[in-house]
Amino acid sequence: MGLERLKKVRASFAADLAAAGSDPDAVETLRVAYAGRKSGLLQDLTAALRELPNEAKRDYGQALNELKKFVEDGLKQAKERAAASAGSSSVGQIDVTLPGRALPRGAEHPVHLVRRRIEEIFLRMGYDVESGPEIEDDWHNFEALNIPPDHPARDDQDTFYVGSNLLRTHTSPVQARVMERTQPPIRIVVPGRVYRRDSDLRHSPMFHQLEGLVVDEGITVGNLKATLETFLHALFSDDVQVRLRPGYFPFTEPSAEVDISCIFCDMKGCGVCSGSGWIEILGSGMVDPRVFEAVGIDPERYTGFAFGLGLDRVAMLQYGIPDLRQLFAGDQRLTRQFE
Amino acid sequence: MNFDAAWLMALLDSPPGADEMTDKLTACGFLVELREEGDGGEIWDVEVTTNRPDAMNHRGLAREAALAAGATLKPFEFELDESDEPSSDLATVEIDDPTMCTRFCARVIRGVAAASSPEWMQRRLANSGVRPISAIVDVTNYVLLEFGQPLHAYDLAKVGGARLIARRAVAGESLVTLDGETRKLEPGMPVIADAYDVVGLAGIMGGADSEIGDDTVDVLLEAANFDALSIRRAARKLGMHTEASHRFERGADPELPPLAIDYAAALIAEFTGGTVCAGRIDVRPRPWEPHELTTTASKLSSFMGLEIPLARLVEIANGLDLNPRTDGDTIICSVPSYRVDLEREADLIEEFVRHVGFDAIPARLPVLATAPGRRNPNWELVDRARSAAVNVGLAEIMTWSFIDPDSDAAVESLPMCPGQAVQLDNPLASTQATMRRSLLPGLLSAVRDNLNQGERTVAVFEQGRVFWFADGAPAEGERLAVALVGSRLGQDRAVDFADLKGVVDAIVDELGYPNHRWRRGGGPWLDEAQAAVIETDDGKTIGSAGLVDHSMAKKWDIKTPVYVAELDLAAAAEEIPLPSFVELPRTPAVTADMTVEHPTDLSYADLHTVARELAGDLVEAIDLQTRYTGKGLPSGAVRSTLRLTYRAADRSLTQDEVNDQQEALREGLSRRLGVTFA
Repeated sequence: MGLERLKKVRASFAADLAAAGSDPDAVETLRVAYAGRKSGLLQDLTAALRELPNEAKRDYGQALNELKKFVEDGLKQAKERAAASAGSSSVGQIDVTLPGRALPRGAEHPVHLVRRRIEEIFLRMGYDVESGPEIEDDWHNFEALNIPPDHPARDDQDTFYVGSNLLRTHTSPVQARVMERTQPPIRIVVPGRVYRRDSDLRHSPMFHQLEGLVVDEGITVGNLKATLETFLHALFSDDVQVRLRPGYFPFTEPSAEVDISCIFCDMKGCGVCSGSGWIEILGSGMVDPRVFEAVGIDPERYTGFAFGLGLDRVAMLQYGIPDLRQLFAGDQRLTRQFE
Repeated sequence: MNFDAAWLMALLDSPPGADEMTDKLTACGFLVELREEGDGGEIWDVEVTTNRPDAMNHRGLAREAALAAGATLKPFEFELDESDEPSSDLATVEIDDPTMCTRFCARVIRGVAAASSPEWMQRRLANSGVRPISAIVDVTNYVLLEFGQPLHAYDLAKVGGARLIARRAVAGESLVTLDGETRKLEPGMPVIADAYDVVGLAGIMGGADSEIGDDTVDVLLEAANFDALSIRRAARKLGMHTEASHRFERGADPELPPLAIDYAAALIAEFTGGTVCAGRIDVRPRPWEPHELTTTASKLSSFMGLEIPLARLVEIANGLDLNPRTDGDTIICSVPSYRVDLEREADLIEEFVRHVGFDAIPARLPVLATAPGRRNPNWELVDRARSAAVNVGLAEIMTWSFIDPDSDAAVESLPMCPGQAVQLDNPLASTQATMRRSLLPGLLSAVRDNLNQGERTVAVFEQGRVFWFADGAPAEGERLAVALVGSRLGQDRAVDFADLKGVVDAIVDELGYPNHRWRRGGGPWLDEAQAAVIETDDGKTIGSAGLVDHSMAKKWDIKTPVYVAELDLAAAAEEIPLPSFVELPRTPAVTADMTVEHPTDLSYADLHTVARELAGDLVEAIDLQTRYTGKGLPSGAVRSTLRLTYRAADRSLTQDEVNDQQEALREGLSRRLGVTFA
C-alpha cells in the first residue's frame, strides 16, 4: 500500500518538475511542496513509515530513500538550469585570466631542432640520413678525402688525436664510408658531432655539422646549385638570395662557398654579416675524382656533389644566439626557451 | 691577406671601379672580405685559398682581376745596371740536396749605404700589413708582395767563406734566427749554411748573425725555390709561420727567382747607392718542365649543365696564360710555372668553372629516383629516445664529450661503466682530456650550474655518445641520461624516486626495451637505499637510476637531492612492434580491494608477481592502491592495498563469485608468502 503511494509521488514529481522548466519561482514552489521542511510531501511520507507494520518497514524505507534522492537530484538540476538561464552562476564567476594548472612541458635542444628540420627537408627530397663514428681513423677523416699527410688543409682542421685514431674533424668521413660500401646512385645527408682543437667566441672544440652527398651519372654543377637553392629556401625563406662563389676544399673540385643574403638587414649591411650583406652558410663542390678513386667509384662514369654546413651556426643565426659555447653549457633555461 | 687596392689597380690597364673590381674578384674565387681606408687608398682583405699561392701577391691577384674584369695586365719592365765585377767572383752557391732546393739564385750588390725606402714603397708595404724597416729589407718584402718570391739579404761580410749551401741540418746544429730565438735544429731540416755554420732556416727565416745592418757594405741576395713539403714539416716542427714559409709551403714559382732577384737588386742599388755586380748566380739541378692539360668543351658543358662554346674556353685560358690550342672539341693548355695547383684535368675544369662563374650556370634540380628517404637506425633510435624524454617534460641539454679525468674516474663504479677510458693525446685543457664513459658526470655538472644560476627545479636530459676502449679499439655507444632536482614540474612537492621511475619507465616503454625490471642495486654512485638497476629478462643491464649518493653529490658541490638515471640505448628494440587491437570488453568490471600486511623486505614486485600467478583468468589487473607503514604496525611491516579488477568476457560477474576469488587469493598469498590480511 505504502509503496504504491511512493510510486505515485515519484510520477507526479517528475511531471511537476518538467512543468517547472527553468523558471526559478516555479522550481522554488516545487521545492517547498515536496521537500519543504515543514509541510513538504516527503516529510509526510517519512512520518508514514512509523505507521507501517514492522515487516513492511524495510522495503518502504529503501524505496523512500530512493525517492528522496530522486527529488533532491531533480531539484538540484532544476536550480542549476534556472540559474544558468538567469545568466548568473550559483558557484560564482570564474576569472578566466587566472593561470591554468601547468603540465610539465619538455623541450628539444636548439641544435637538434635545426638538425631535424634539415633532415626533414632532405628526407622529403628522397635523401637517406646516415650516421658514423665520432672516433675516426686517419683514412676516412683525411686520406680518402684527398687530404694526405702534410697537406696544408690539416692545419685548418686542428685535430684531437687518440693514438693512431682521431676525433673526426668533420662529418665528411661518413661520405667516404658510405661510398666504400655503396655504389651509386647515392643520395645522403649526414648530421653529427665533430671536433676541432679550437676555442673562442666563434669556435668551439665540439660542434655539429650536416653533410650532404649526391653521386650518380650525369650530376652537374647546375644540379648542385639548384639543390642548395631549394634547400636554403626551404630552411630560411623563398626570399633569400643564394650566392655561390669559388672556394677551396681538398675533397671537392670545383668547390663553392655558399652565401645567403643577410636575413637580418635585408642586405643593407649589419653586424651579423659584417656589413657585406651576405652570410656564409655552406661549403660545397663537385666531388673530387681522387675521392672517387680512393673509395672505389669510377670517376669516368660518375660525378657528384657534396655540401656541408654547421648546425650550431644555423641555430645561432635562426634563434639569435650570440655565443656558440653557450649551446653546450647545459643551461636548461636556454632549452626551455624552445618549449 | 691584405692588398693595397691602388697598387693592384696600378698593375692593370683600364681597371674598373673598386666596387665592380671587388665583386668580380669575389665571383672568381677571391672573396674580398673587408674594405677599409688605408694610407692613400683602400686596403682590401682578400681571402686567397691555400691552393693558390700564385695569387698571394699583387701581380698574381691582378692577373685574375684582369681576366675577371675584362682589363689587361700591364707588362712589367725595369732596368738593371750591372758593374763589370762578376757576382761569381765574390760569392758561391751550392745545392747539396736537390730534394729540398730546386733552384738557388744569388746576386751581390756592393757599396750599399744605410737608407730608407721611398715613401711610395713604405705606403704600399704598410697597406699590405708589412712594417717598413730599411731600404734593403723593404725591397725584399716589396718584391715578395708584388711577385710572391721570398728573398733574403745577407751581409756578405758575415757569410763565412762567401759561400751559401742549401743542405739538410745535421745532428746538434742550432741557429739564432732574426727574431732573436735560438732554434734547435733536427737532422733533416732544410737550412742554408755558409762555409762553417748554419746561417738561415731555408724558406722560413734568416739567421741573426748574417743580418743586414747599418754597417753593411756588400749585400748577398738570395732568391731560391724550396720543396714545399720540406719547408712545411720544418716550419711545423719549429712552430714557425712566416710570410716566406706561408708561400713555400703552398708551392712557389720555380721560374720566378731570376726575375725577382734582378728586380730586387735594381731597387736596392737605386735606394742605397750600391752597385749590382755582373751576372746572376743561378744553380738549378733540374730545370722546370712545363706540362699540358686537356679537356673538351662537351665534357665541360655536361659537367656544368651549361653549353660552353670552345671559343669562350680559349678566351679564359688565354687570360690565365695557359697558351691554349684546340683540336676539334679538345682544348690543350700549357700550365705556367706559377700554377702549381694545376696537376690534373679536374684542376683545369675548375679554372673554367671559376671564370664562367656560378652565376652563369642555370640551377636545375637533379633527376633522381623517386624513393622515399630512409633514416639510419641509429638516428631513429636516438630521436625515439629524445622525443620520449621531451614528452615527459624534460629539457634537453648538451654537454661536452670530453670531461675531466677526475670526474671520469668516478664513473668506474657505475654498473654501466663500459670499459677503459679513451684519453685525448692533445686535449685543449686538462679538464677536457678524457672522452666521457657516462653522461652522468656532465649531467651533474650541468645540474650544479643550473642550481648556481638560481634554478630551484631542474628537470633535464642529455642524449649523446659515450666512448671507451674495447679490445684495444675505440668504441662508442648512444646513451640517454635524466636528472630531476627540486619539485616535480607543475606540482608543489619534492621529487622522489617514484617521479624518477615514472619518467624512466615512460622513456623505456617508448624505446621498446625487451621486458624490463627494476631491482635494488647500483651503489656506490647512488644512495644504496634508493638505487636501482634496470635489467632485461635475460639479466642484461640497460640502465641504472636513483638518488645520487651524498658523497658523490658533494664532489660536485651539490647540496640538494639529485635523482638521476642513465639508459644504454644499444639494448633498445630496433623497431617498436605495431600495437595489436584487443576486442573491447562488453561486460562490466568489478573491483575489489585487498589489504596485505607483509614485511618490508618482500618487494612489491615479488608480491605482485605471486599475486598475478595466483589470480585466475578473471583478474584483469592488479594495481597498488595505497601503502602504509607506521602507527598500528610493527616496525618492518607494511600494508599494501591492492585493487583487483575482475571481469569475465561473457557475463556480468556476481559479488559472490568475486568474493570467492578474493578469498582464494588471500589463502594462496598467505600460503606462498606468509602474509596476513587487514
